[in-house]
Amino acid sequence: MSDDIKIVGLLCNWCCYGGADTAGTARMQYPPNVRIIRVMCSGRINPSMIFKAFEDGADGVFVGGCHIGDCHYDAGNYKWSRRAKIVQDIIEEFGIEKERFRFEWISASEGEKFQKTMDEFYKTLSKLGPLELE
Amino acid sequence: MIEIKHTLCPSCSVGCGINVILDNEEIVGTFPYKRHPVNEGKNCLNGRSSVENVEDELAFDSKVLDDAIGKLKSCNNEKITVVFSGNNSNEDLEAIKSLCESKGFNILSYANNLKNFDSVASYDDVENASNLFVIGNILYENPLIGRRIVHAKENGAKIYVNDDLENSPTSNIADEFTSLSVKEFLENNDFTDDSVILFNKVGSFEDLDLLESANSKLLPVYSKSNSKGALKLVDAISKEEALELLGNTEVLFIFNDDIVNEFDFDFKSIPQIISVSPSKNDTTEIADFVIATKSWLESDGSFTNAEDLTQEFSSVCESEKMGIVEIIEKISGELE
Amino acid sequence: MSYILARSSDNAILEAGECGGAVTSIFKYLLDEGIVEGVLALRPKDDIYDGVPTFITNSEDLISTAGSYHCAPTMVGDIIQKYLSDKKIAVAVKPCDIRSIEELIKRHKINPDNIYTVGLNCGGTVSPITGRKMIELFYDIDPNDVVSEEIDKGQFIVELADGSEKGVKIHDLEQQGYGRRNNCQRCDVKIPRKANIACGNWGAEDGWTFIEINDEKGQSLIDGAKSSGILETKNASEKSIEARSKVEGIMIKMSNKVQNAKFDEAEDMDVWKRCIGCYACRDICPICWCYENCELNKPYFKEEINITPNPIAFQGVRLSHISFSCCDCGQCDDVCPMDIPVSLIFDKLQKKYYNRTGYVAGVSDDIKPPLYSPDKVEL
Repeated sequence: MSDDIKIVGLLCNWCCYGGADTAGTARMQYPPNVRIIRVMCSGRINPSMIFKAFEDGADGVFVGGCHIGDCHYDAGNYKWSRRAKIVQDIIEEFGIEKERFRFEWISASEGEKFQKTMDEFYKTLSKLGPLELE
Repeated sequence: MIEIKHTLCPSCSVGCGINVILDNEEIVGTFPYKRHPVNEGKNCLNGRSSVENVEDELAFDSKVLDDAIGKLKSCNNEKITVVFSGNNSNEDLEAIKSLCESKGFNILSYANNLKNFDSVASYDDVENASNLFVIGNILYENPLIGRRIVHAKENGAKIYVNDDLENSPTSNIADEFTSLSVKEFLENNDFTDDSVILFNKVGSFEDLDLLESANSKLLPVYSKSNSKGALKLVDAISKEEALELLGNTEVLFIFNDDIVNEFDFDFKSIPQIISVSPSKNDTTEIADFVIATKSWLESDGSFTNAEDLTQEFSSVCESEKMGIVEIIEKISGELE
Repeated sequence: MSYILARSSDNAILEAGECGGAVTSIFKYLLDEGIVEGVLALRPKDDIYDGVPTFITNSEDLISTAGSYHCAPTMVGDIIQKYLSDKKIAVAVKPCDIRSIEELIKRHKINPDNIYTVGLNCGGTVSPITGRKMIELFYDIDPNDVVSEEIDKGQFIVELADGSEKGVKIHDLEQQGYGRRNNCQRCDVKIPRKANIACGNWGAEDGWTFIEINDEKGQSLIDGAKSSGILETKNASEKSIEARSKVEGIMIKMSNKVQNAKFDEAEDMDVWKRCIGCYACRDICPICWCYENCELNKPYFKEEINITPNPIAFQGVRLSHISFSCCDCGQCDDVCPMDIPVSLIFDKLQKKYYNRTGYVAGVSDDIKPPLYSPDKVEL
């Protein structure tokens, strides 16, 4: 049952994707359920992308961006951080548990943090089970 | 200068009101008509887009009308079939009927295998029923009657739905959903006189007899604004009868209808097709003679809705084109 | 901001008006002096329940718009934005109307220099057919005999041709599912302080309109109308200002009670099952202005027809685009063919946004809603 958990990960190219890469080259193990999509900046992400992911069958959505202040495009991650709060507010209203949506700031060197975050997220989602959207 | 005017929606037989917004006498959009008792300002997507097609302007050419009249003169009246469509107002239909009866033309009165029922439930009856039997995806196809079903459910009614689609809005509010044939649905259920059967389709013309004999109030919901008015004037025929009639037709005379999309029939096999229409459609594309006429937005008239309420509408803008009554007067005059 | 009482010097307007005829007089002044090309106001078409927005260009026609029409819940924000944005106009606005206009100004869809906004205090509106049913059931009066209605001291009061009145407590009406529209019951912006002036009868003496002047443009309106001779004014006493404040306070308290009671209901997923995806809510929303470019029209959001759309990918998208600017006008509720309480969820999310940022749609002074700001700030 837990192997069916589908996680969509939207990672920003400069920091978080680099972090995932670091985790990979160091052979750090994390659940294979994460399907990673690389975006150039977390500020590029529309809330509608998150909603479409849930509609299309994702059980959890993760967004990773640069640490605040470190955005490659200066202020993109600020914009994302504000939108992320809106997304949280909205998904609660439609029967999607808050824990299914997670966003973190992970830099390119923080391979271990990426691994840990994916592990935790996977465990949380396994407990919640697959998402049953009406 | 902008103005907002009242009119009726032409999309189906629920009989909703709708406001039209005009900017310097040109139609630019719709606006909710909240005072209208049938739909209280709510309109479905079809209703709100109904004013957009008026832009498919056809130009009136009197020569075309003369040529068409020529064809009518030269053809045997028994081989002329006139399409008696529910898209036309009661006033236009009376004129069409008189013409056909005086000349002996055939009348094709067809409503998707439905027919007229003299006594029908009112929309209030639907809201107050204890049991509602719904045939067809009514919430999606005729939303403003679907709304009455929603109210009925809130008032404690039990909703039985019979349709092909399982995930439709109509099946979602059903207490019991079946996708049996309409015939089986009608035979398997007990109806009482505090129940209402709402239907916008049937399996076959024969199902109508089962409906008639059911001990329940009925509400047929037709697909055109004045189907009820048309069927009250001329009884409907079945699909088989319609196809037979079309097969024996040499001149098909269509008033305001897109008939090619209603039948699986090779219309090009009919020698002459005359289409009187306010705008372009698939029928005018294949017709031999296309005669432009006023749309309902440019005319005065009345439509009778599914609950047998006749409502008047007034024109919201002017037009130089001839209305259907005028065209028929001219034809009658020439055919003397 | 200052407070005055005003009254029309024109007897016909004074009689037709709701309190002192000040609003109609100010419109007359603006039209007669050619300061505006036209006035957008409500006129009763078939009867008092059939209020239709009308663009008046001849001041003699203004008298037909005088009076309050509580059974005409219209929204003028999108009419101005779509059809009147290039004209100089004056418009009568309820608080929800001016809130939507403010939000559209922020989005550069309405030019504030082109409009004079005459605000009307609002305790709520009633849907016309609900209003008629309500009058039959609770007042035992033929709705066709009603010449005017009023909301005062917690009652919905109707007046007949012979001058007699009958009132029923709004609370009693609303307990039974009648009364004001749902969004009006929740609304906590009763005085349109973003309009140039805010007019009403709260705190006013009989035959006078209480006016709160909100900005310089509003002051120039009053001064101009006075010098043209159509309006007379006097100072508002401390007592009347207090009385008005008290009424406002009570109404806001009532709204907060309803908010607390109703917001929990937004999580009921059953209502979304009957959504038919007709886009009526999006098309009527005054804030939604993308039209053909709307994200919901894009191919990746196009659902199979005949199937109920998934609310997270249908309403969710619209919520993420505009919920923080929702003015709680309730038009989305009014036009939904399936009677889904759409405004409930939009209003709830606007309140959540307010709790995070202090931004109230159409009222807060921020130039942009925080979500659009280029500043390096987090919520």
